[in-house]
Amino acid sequence: MLFPTVEYALFFLLVLAVAWSLARFPAWHKGFLLVASYVFYGFWNWTYLPLLFGISVFSALIAQRIQKSERDPRRWLTLGVAVCLAVLAFYKYMGFFLENLLVVWGRFGPPPRIGYHSPVLPLGVSFFVFHAISLMGDCYRGKVKEPVRMGDALLYVAFFPQLIAGPILRASRFLPQLAKPRDPRRIRVDRGLLLIAGGLFKKVIISNMLATRLVEPVFAVPQSYSGADVLLAVYGYAAQIYCDFSGYTDIAIGCALLLGYRFPANFRAPYTATDPQDFWRRWHISLSTWLRDYLYFPLGGSRLGSLRTYVNLMLTMLLGGLWHGAGWTFVVWGGLQGGYLVTHRLWSRVKWSPVLWLRRTQAWVWVSRLLLFHAVCVGWVFFRASSFGIAFQVFERLAVPGWATLATGPVVLVLILGLAGQYAPSRWRNSVEVEMGRWPTLARGAAFAGAITAIEVLGPTGVAPFIYFQF
Amino acid sequence: MAGFAAVCVLLESEGLASWANHLEIGRLRTVAVPATAAVARALHPLGVFQLRDGTLDNLARVGWSDDAARVAAVNAPANHDGPVADGSTAKTLAKAPTPATLGANTPVVRDVPRVTSLTPLPPVEAGKTRVVALAGDSMMAVGLSSELMREAANDPRLRIVKAFRSGTGLARPEVFDWMTEYPAMLGAEKPDVVLVAIGANDGQGFVVDGKVLAFGSEGWSKVYQQRVADYLAMVGAGGARVVWVGLPPMRSASYDDKMAAINKVAYTVVSQSPRAVWWNPVSYVGDEAGRYREYSATGNVRLRQADGVHLSDEGAGLLTGALLKWLDPPAAASVVAATPGTAPVPTPAVAVAHKAKKRGRRPARG
Repeated sequence: MLFPTVEYALFFLLVLAVAWSLARFPAWHKGFLLVASYVFYGFWNWTYLPLLFGISVFSALIAQRIQKSERDPRRWLTLGVAVCLAVLAFYKYMGFFLENLLVVWGRFGPPPRIGYHSPVLPLGVSFFVFHAISLMGDCYRGKVKEPVRMGDALLYVAFFPQLIAGPILRASRFLPQLAKPRDPRRIRVDRGLLLIAGGLFKKVIISNMLATRLVEPVFAVPQSYSGADVLLAVYGYAAQIYCDFSGYTDIAIGCALLLGYRFPANFRAPYTATDPQDFWRRWHISLSTWLRDYLYFPLGGSRLGSLRTYVNLMLTMLLGGLWHGAGWTFVVWGGLQGGYLVTHRLWSRVKWSPVLWLRRTQAWVWVSRLLLFHAVCVGWVFFRASSFGIAFQVFERLAVPGWATLATGPVVLVLILGLAGQYAPSRWRNSVEVEMGRWPTLARGAAFAGAITAIEVLGPTGVAPFIYFQF
Repeated sequence: MAGFAAVCVLLESEGLASWANHLEIGRLRTVAVPATAAVARALHPLGVFQLRDGTLDNLARVGWSDDAARVAAVNAPANHDGPVADGSTAKTLAKAPTPATLGANTPVVRDVPRVTSLTPLPPVEAGKTRVVALAGDSMMAVGLSSELMREAANDPRLRIVKAFRSGTGLARPEVFDWMTEYPAMLGAEKPDVVLVAIGANDGQGFVVDGKVLAFGSEGWSKVYQQRVADYLAMVGAGGARVVWVGLPPMRSASYDDKMAAINKVAYTVVSQSPRAVWWNPVSYVGDEAGRYREYSATGNVRLRQADGVHLSDEGAGLLTGALLKWLDPPAAASVVAATPGTAPVPTPAVAVAHKAKKRGRRPARG
């Protein structure tokens, strides 16, 4: 079920009404949300419900074992993580692995004939596997204080607002929410509505228009476009992927909020970042912190000297790239991000006084922003291109003079909104929220309906799936 | 929630009716269509739909809309014999003749040929370009169109016109009416050749005159056959040569059966047309027995997307190599290809090796 559809709207309204009517009966409330989450997932393809259920039950059992085990909880954690990663590898990486194995094999002799068919990638498998690992990891670290209950663990892994594309919740932060009954008086309804409307606007209007009118044509046939068009498309993809993914998570956070649950923020105006570290504190925050806590820190983090820190950073980002997709272009994207982080660390160690002075100037802040944005855009080219050939063609075409034929008024408008909108102060949204809070309830509902209608009318005739669904 | 629901129904009654109409044939649609239609009818006197339609028209005028038919309609001159500005423009343009000879009434074949060939085209005349329209659904949009456009970009004698749209088909004209949209997508272009890849979304039932026709039933086949014939007549109008690229084998067995049924209908219709050819991609992207194959014989070239439906760039590249040689044959080759009905196209094995070499990969063996 896609968020920007009538089906989801009807589903969510029904779930909202029933869930709150059951709020006084926590067990029924949570049981209903669990069933609703499985309905939500099964709406796409019910054949993968057993996989979701199996992973959830397995991770909950292991988490319980870890909590009870006094002698060797690490063994249980290792088993749990290995099984979860094996499931992910089977669905996501087996074809990629075999393909590359045969390429290497072919260099030494005729490779064997393998009639391999990849399994259909279950929607959101990367996300629910990460949730399962988080459940076990948080229990191992003692961050989950209360004994894990099976029902709560199932809901944590499958809770529908975050099931398909995050944000990646921490068990240690979500399970305590399930332990207390939800109080409707403490819900920031207007914030939830604003997040949903804003998320829909970003996805349905900005992301979709940029995708269909600018990014897809150029990345399909870069050689047909001038440097101006290609540059615009690269900027367009930067805006598209931000609006697509942050739009999804805004809707997810808003829906969870209306149901009484708090999700962590996943984006904080990432293109206003001034250095790579700052960028990763603002972009897909739930993934970057997950990778930091469950990969970078266990590798040693920055505790084992400079060289080891750089190696750990590179490894973390390379694996982060591979998590996004079974392809070498994603690995290169991850490698670039790791390279940026390492370069920034090296640059930060420069203590030459003119450099120190330069860093303190306001001009340098903007120079850094521009430099970082373009470095990020270079990474996006690999992320978006279907092959290295296309990526390099995009770079080559940047040097070709010519007019920007795709720069129509609507495209330029949504591109500006997608990029410059990140510089809008957050207090604006807070002011709107406060102002809406003064309105009668009926008027607030009507205003929200008007906003949804406007988005529907302004949106394209068909809505593309979210980019992050494939991960 | 009450305010939200009331305003939504008031503003979106037409949109909800349209949504219900677009639903897949089934229980939900059976309930939703009359319910939303009743609401839309009840609210019709308030005239909110005019506000909505007016807004959509204005958005089309300023270049915001992506609805080709609406854009064509609002931009059409008001006073002339042809299109009028009430939304019927493209429909008027689309009413191409549908000769019975196009196979609408021919019994559907029991099987389609595995190996098919392309009737040779004459070489492109010096100083001229051959206009090639790419039409269809995601089977054209994903992989095939990109590969064709990339390759054709290096050939000044070919010009590509895009007339495809994902998520469409011929089964549900109430969802997306190709007879309206195709002429609007073409605009003033007059293609010499049309490459069609369509049908991946058509494995579903539809409603005709209030009666549900289940996929594969006799009634379904008859109506679908007529729609294929109408579509073929439209894309071939003006003398364009048409290559109808058949649907490749699919990973899911049940889905593959449906696509095979659609191939049979399309082949039946297309094979009756003197200026069209149904071209089977199976010898390029299927295995020796004509079944689904995800990787090339050696396993190191991925032929299909991860969804098991669409072609990968590499898989599409095998087809485009043959198609481009046909679209722009070297002058000498066209003389050599004297055998009637046989185009000078490379064999699949040669094409695999050629594409792999072009991509800097080792050619697939076997």
